[in-house]
Amino acid sequence: MAAETTRPKKDTKKIRAAIKRRKHATYTPVKPDMQLGFIHNNVDCIGCRACEMACKDKNGLPPGPRFRRVQYIEGGTFPEVFAYKVNMSCNHCAEPACLPTCPTGAIFKRKKDGIVDIDSTLCIGCRRCEAACPFGAPQFDPEENIVKKCNMCVDEIEAGRKPYCVMACMMRVLDIGPIDKIWDGSLDTVAIGPHDKVVRQVKNMADIELTHPSIGFVAHSKGKVE
Amino acid sequence: MKASIATFISLLLVMMSLSSPAADHQKTTLKKPEEKKLDYHRAMWDPIHFQPAIAKATNEQCLACHKEILERKVRKTSPAGVPAKKALAWYQTLNTYQGPQETFHRRHLVTPLAKKLMKMKCTTCHQGENPREEAPIPPDQENQSFTLRKQVNPKTCLMCHGAYPYKIMGLPGPWNEVRDQFQNNCLLCHSTIRTNRHKVNFLNADAIEEAGKKDSDVCYGCHGGRQWYRISYPYPRHPWPGMSKETPDWAKNRPTESPRRFLIQEKSASK
Repeated sequence: MAAETTRPKKDTKKIRAAIKRRKHATYTPVKPDMQLGFIHNNVDCIGCRACEMACKDKNGLPPGPRFRRVQYIEGGTFPEVFAYKVNMSCNHCAEPACLPTCPTGAIFKRKKDGIVDIDSTLCIGCRRCEAACPFGAPQFDPEENIVKKCNMCVDEIEAGRKPYCVMACMMRVLDIGPIDKIWDGSLDTVAIGPHDKVVRQVKNMADIELTHPSIGFVAHSKGKVE
Repeated sequence: MKASIATFISLLLVMMSLSSPAADHQKTTLKKPEEKKLDYHRAMWDPIHFQPAIAKATNEQCLACHKEILERKVRKTSPAGVPAKKALAWYQTLNTYQGPQETFHRRHLVTPLAKKLMKMKCTTCHQGENPREEAPIPPDQENQSFTLRKQVNPKTCLMCHGAYPYKIMGLPGPWNEVRDQFQNNCLLCHSTIRTNRHKVNFLNADAIEEAGKKDSDVCYGCHGGRQWYRISYPYPRHPWPGMSKETPDWAKNRPTESPRRFLIQEKSASK
C-alpha cells in the first residue's frame, strides 16, 4: 500500500514526447570497426557444392533452405562455349536491406567485424528480410516457420578459424578476409591468382549500390560487367 | 519420284509436329493443375513460369498452386517466446501501419491499406525465371530479366523501398529530421511541384492522393519510411505545369515514361 502511494506520478507530457521520439525513427546502419567478406574465384570453381554441403551440415538445415548456393552459368555456341560458377551466401552488406525490415530486431550487424547475424529464436517468420535481400541470403525454414541465414560461422571466427564453407572448398577458390584487402587484391589467399583482378560485381548479380555487399569475385571473362 | 514424295510427306509430318511456341504455351500453361497432376519439376518448368506466358498470368492461375502465399500467417510467438503482437519495427510506428504482424505477401496484396492504395498482383513483381539455379543463356547484362538468387528483380522493390533523395529535392536533411520544419506536410511543396505522380497501373493514384492529403505519413510510408536500400529509384520525369524546361544534371538520361508494363493502358501488372 505504501509502495503505491510513493510511486511517482506519470508525466504524460514526457511519455508523449518519448512516443513521438520513437515514432517515425529511422534506421542508421552500423559502421563496423572492420568488415569481413568473402572472395570467390568464379573461374577455378568446379561447382562441386562441397561448400553447400558443409554449410548445411554445420547449420543442421532440413531440405529447402540453403545458405550458400553455387550457381552454374553456361552458354555460348560451339566452339566458343563457356561455363563458370558464381557462389554466394550472405554478403554481410555494409548497409544490409534485411536488417531494417525485421520487426523483432532478430537481425543485427556486429560492430567488431561487420558480420550480419540473425537470432532466429526471435524470428516470427514474416519473411520480409527474405524479400528485401537483393542476394537471396535469408532462407526460410518451412519446418520451423522461421528465417535463418549465414552468419559466416561466427563461432568459428571467434575461435580463430574460418567458416565451414571455406574449409570445405577443395579447390581453395573460396576464402574470407577483411573486405578492403580482398577488393584491392592484397589479401594473402590462393583464391586470388597472381594476375587476377578482383571485381565487386558480376553479370546477373543485383546492383551492388543497393546494399554494398562485402564480397569480391575473380570474374570469368564472360561474366564481367563492362 | 516416289522417294521425293515420301520425303515431302515426312517433312510435312515433322513440321506439323513442331507447332509454334505460342501454341505450345497455350497447350501447357497451367489452368487446372489439379487435373494435370503435375509433379514438382514439371510444374516448376511449366511455361507459365517464364516469359511470355507469365506476363498474361492471372492471380487465379498463380494462386491455384501458390495459395499458401495468402494463407500463411506469422508465428504467434518466436521460438524464444517473443510475442508477434508486441513486436514493432521502426517503420511500423508510422500512423499508416495497422493491424497485427503479417507476412510481406499479405501486406502487399490483401491487408486493408494495400487494398486501398494498391492494385498489385503476383506478376507486378514476379516476372518469371523462377528456378533459381539456372541462369539464362547468354547471361543477361542488364539484370532485367534475371537476378542471381532472386525471384524478383530488386529494382522493382526499389520503387517503394528506396532512399529518400533529400539532396536532389533541395531539402536540408532527410524527412525524419526536417519534417517539423515543413509541418510534416508533403503537399506544402507537392501541391505545385511534381504533381503528375503515381500514374502506374499497380497503384491506386486517386486513393493515394486522397490519403496523402489527410496524412503525410502515407507519403513517407513509401518515400523513405520503408527504406531498405541505399539508393533512390530514378522515377521517370513526368512534366508538371510550370516545370523548368531545362533538365537538371541528376535527371539527365532519366526516362520520361514508366516501364511499359506499368503504364496504365497496359494491364499486365495490374489487377
